[in-house]
Amino acid sequence: MANLRQIAIYGKGGIGKSTTTQNLTAGLVEKGKKVMVVGCDPKADSTRLLLGGLAQKTVLDTIRDEGEDIELSQIMRIGYGGTKCVESGGPEPGVGCAGRGIITSINMLENLGAYTDDLDYVFYDVLGDVVCGGFAMPIREGKAKEIYIVASGEMMALYAANNISKGISRYARAGGVRLGGIICNSRNVDRELSLLRAFAKELGTKLLYFVPRDNVVQHAEIHRQTVIEYKPQSNQAQEYRNLAQAVIDNEDFVIPTPMTQERLEEILMEFGMMDIADDYKI
Amino acid sequence: MAKLLDKQRYKCAMGAMQTVQAITRAIPILHSGPGCAQKLSDTVGSSGYFSPNIFPCTSINEKDVVFGGAKKLTSTIENALKVIDADLYVVLTGCIPEIVGDDVEEIVSEFKDAEKPVIYASTAGFKGNNYKGHEQVIDAIIEQYLKKSDTRQKGLVNIWADVPYQDLFWLGNLRELENLLREIGLVPNTIFGYGRGLENIKKIPEAEFNLLVSPWVSVGNMKKMERKLALPYLHYKTLPIGAFETSKFLREVASFAGVEPEIVEDVITRHENYYYYLIERYADMFLEARVMAKQFTVAADAQYTLGITKFLANDLGLTPAKQYVTDDTPKQFRESIKKEFESLNYGIKAEVAFETDSFKIHNEIREHNYHGYPLILGSYYEKAVANEMQGHYLNIAWPVQDKVVLDDFYVGYTGGIRLIEDIYSVALQRFN
Repeated sequence: MANLRQIAIYGKGGIGKSTTTQNLTAGLVEKGKKVMVVGCDPKADSTRLLLGGLAQKTVLDTIRDEGEDIELSQIMRIGYGGTKCVESGGPEPGVGCAGRGIITSINMLENLGAYTDDLDYVFYDVLGDVVCGGFAMPIREGKAKEIYIVASGEMMALYAANNISKGISRYARAGGVRLGGIICNSRNVDRELSLLRAFAKELGTKLLYFVPRDNVVQHAEIHRQTVIEYKPQSNQAQEYRNLAQAVIDNEDFVIPTPMTQERLEEILMEFGMMDIADDYKI
Repeated sequence: MAKLLDKQRYKCAMGAMQTVQAITRAIPILHSGPGCAQKLSDTVGSSGYFSPNIFPCTSINEKDVVFGGAKKLTSTIENALKVIDADLYVVLTGCIPEIVGDDVEEIVSEFKDAEKPVIYASTAGFKGNNYKGHEQVIDAIIEQYLKKSDTRQKGLVNIWADVPYQDLFWLGNLRELENLLREIGLVPNTIFGYGRGLENIKKIPEAEFNLLVSPWVSVGNMKKMERKLALPYLHYKTLPIGAFETSKFLREVASFAGVEPEIVEDVITRHENYYYYLIERYADMFLEARVMAKQFTVAADAQYTLGITKFLANDLGLTPAKQYVTDDTPKQFRESIKKEFESLNYGIKAEVAFETDSFKIHNEIREHNYHGYPLILGSYYEKAVANEMQGHYLNIAWPVQDKVVLDDFYVGYTGGIRLIEDIYSVALQRFN
């Protein structure tokens, strides 16, 4: 348990947090690491690729149906390479408090002894923005101390990443939570690499890894598998292995320095545009 | 930095369950955690047909927070309708469902065809204190139950005053206000207390006007009824205590209602003659009871601080020291209330502070030189500081610990006499 690294993955909705987390997990598992993935999103799709489908009953669904007296085996499934998979789940859209749901689930996991000594990594895959205190639960005291933000060269992804950094810096003042870096899930936006590097630098962190865009990711998703399982020999599988190694090797953990909206837009102007701004073709 | 508030004199908005309790055969259905009602039901004299400790309550827990409390609220309302014989069911929401975002309006609307009316009021504690909660309940009745009436009943007047149970004299005061209006030929209509209830609520839209006797509580309700029910209103800010203010009050009401001046003057003369007959008989005592300083302080909600300050200055000739309004009066009303304190008879102006912190109030009382044993009227919280100063003390505002009031009252001519009796009974006990 002493060497357990608890890692929270944040980022704009739809940026590919779950895909990246699961492929990264597959890379770690291949290297012999013991990993648990905790989905912190009411949609409960954070472990689909590891489990080969939405085969899991969420913690909150279980609590709703069975009450609080439940066993760990009812809410945890073993996925690809022995990965422990848990989905927090949530209320139906539009009712209740999903944030409180995350708090309830993580407390339940702790009470049931899910954090076993043999684990090397726990990943919390958290939905979109940190909209309220509940979604910050994974980075509160005693939980994840490492955070990676998944982003791309798109304006809104960077805007969200900057916002999330504000949340991290708030929690970092009192606790030990630190930003480990930005993971770029490429969208093939112009000059994406230089833009992400500049953005990460401005935040006081680094671009941990640049994951290129490749259609094999979509194919693997359709087959309910991680790329490493689906096409182990592909270039993309190697990219995820490299990402896993980057996480293993990473020792740079910082309190981020979020920027103003004006500064963010300056960086976009400077790095995020082609030489000819209006070079738009279909 | 968070402010430390010492001994405030109100509860949270869900204290409005007492407003519902005051409507005969109306019952609150609490959509809240189980502790809220228990904490809020400490006032004595609130047992009866519905005891405040057996209100239906959803008693929500963590599961309801995560998944929403809609199902539990629906079943609680359904079962309350089955097992509790009431005329009106008022759902009150606490903080938790309001934060989680339960759509109580939608849930309650499913009961629109129930045999008995079910309405709801949003009374989350973070919305304000129980004075505001009281207004929310009245608003709920106006918005969800009352309909505009095409017919008006001649002389019918709805009377509204301060918050039942929070005001320990609420029942007696309302009855006495009714009596006064009846004497000048009007037909009073109130909804609180024995013998009133849903039938009186139904009559509200048929009145000729609303009469509000309060410095600020329910002004919003009056405006709402003016818009929705086309009911004009007369806002009389001062609770009339004693002859001077009550006569002024009757003249103003009569003028607004179009009552013949001769009728109201007859009533006033009759009351004043008797009032001053009583005062005259005891004038020697007022003059000779020199144990009591001429200066006094009232620390209570706006209605009693203003009403009693006017009475003691205008009718008894005492001098106001600093006065304290402790009900967290909304800012927009403060200036006009302050002006009332500055327009006492004989050109006297009373200094008034809107202060909710008892620590500050008590320190100021301690530091003031009353030139003798002071007269301090307030909540039970003032008892210790009054004792410390060997003062004369009367508990006239919530919280009340050393007094039982069944239907006693301070309003009107008779109410003024009762207040004199109470004050001088305390004063005479010093050496007797």
